[in-house]
Amino acid sequence: MSDITQKKMEQIAQMWNARGKGLITHMALEIEEVSTESVRVRMPFNPDFCVDAEQSMLHGGILTALLDSVFGLANFVAIEGVSTMATLDLRVDYLRPARSRADVIVQAHCFRKTRHIAFNSGSVWFAGHEDAEIARGTASFALTRGETSLFDAMTKGKTS
Amino acid sequence: MDVQTVNANVSRVPFFRFLNFEVRSLDSLHAEAEMTFDDRHIGNPIMEYYHGGIIASFMEATAAIAVQPDFADVPAKPINLTVDYLRPGVKGPLFARANVTRKGKRMASVSVLSWQTDREKAVAEGLYHFLLV
Repeated sequence: MSDITQKKMEQIAQMWNARGKGLITHMALEIEEVSTESVRVRMPFNPDFCVDAEQSMLHGGILTALLDSVFGLANFVAIEGVSTMATLDLRVDYLRPARSRADVIVQAHCFRKTRHIAFNSGSVWFAGHEDAEIARGTASFALTRGETSLFDAMTKGKTS
Repeated sequence: MDVQTVNANVSRVPFFRFLNFEVRSLDSLHAEAEMTFDDRHIGNPIMEYYHGGIIASFMEATAAIAVQPDFADVPAKPINLTVDYLRPGVKGPLFARANVTRKGKRMASVSVLSWQTDREKAVAEGLYHFLLV
């Protein structure tokens, strides 16, 4: 993470922690690696996200939500001067049944950024099984440029 | 398949309980459902908008029910999805209507629309594929 300033790292940590309510808090995401090139996030197993009564298989929807969240983080890290962003569209392929109680790992990056749009892709697998991808996603985000950053809004309670 | 039986099945799926929705109407090619807003659904905590992934998940759930309302254990197997986000989903109930555009022996295509106060002002539109074998 050498290409990210200490200030940005602190902002990321604060932003993540400021989400006192909401899905990201409930998913209990942990940032494993972060750089302008790519981000890697871990989601611990949570029985709420399962599709079967035995709670041994995740619902695809939570993988979609995970990809969407981590794309947002990848954009925040990779792009300067963004006040807000919104997912424009999202495509997810479910490559295997998500049958495991292991933690889930998501690796995502922004592969192209323009003034108004960011393009993302990412992969999902169970911890220790990187060779058996369970989902892959691509998305585009609409960026709103501005001085009031997403970070300021979240940590100081201002709406932009 | 009556709505009451389907909702009883829905309540057995942990993630569907997390989403907190009820099927409102059902016929051989359609399903309509209503999701109740919950703090755990929030994506933007400042504006209190729904998380895009929750909207996509709710639409996927509604689509799976339209395809296979009589699922016994787990809902229909999803292959992939594409979602267009058209407006922010604000605090309040969210509706989804799934329309099975094609159901073959092995595959089904389902289009889903979601909205809040006005059906004409869609929050999101999605296309979902399911494997039926």
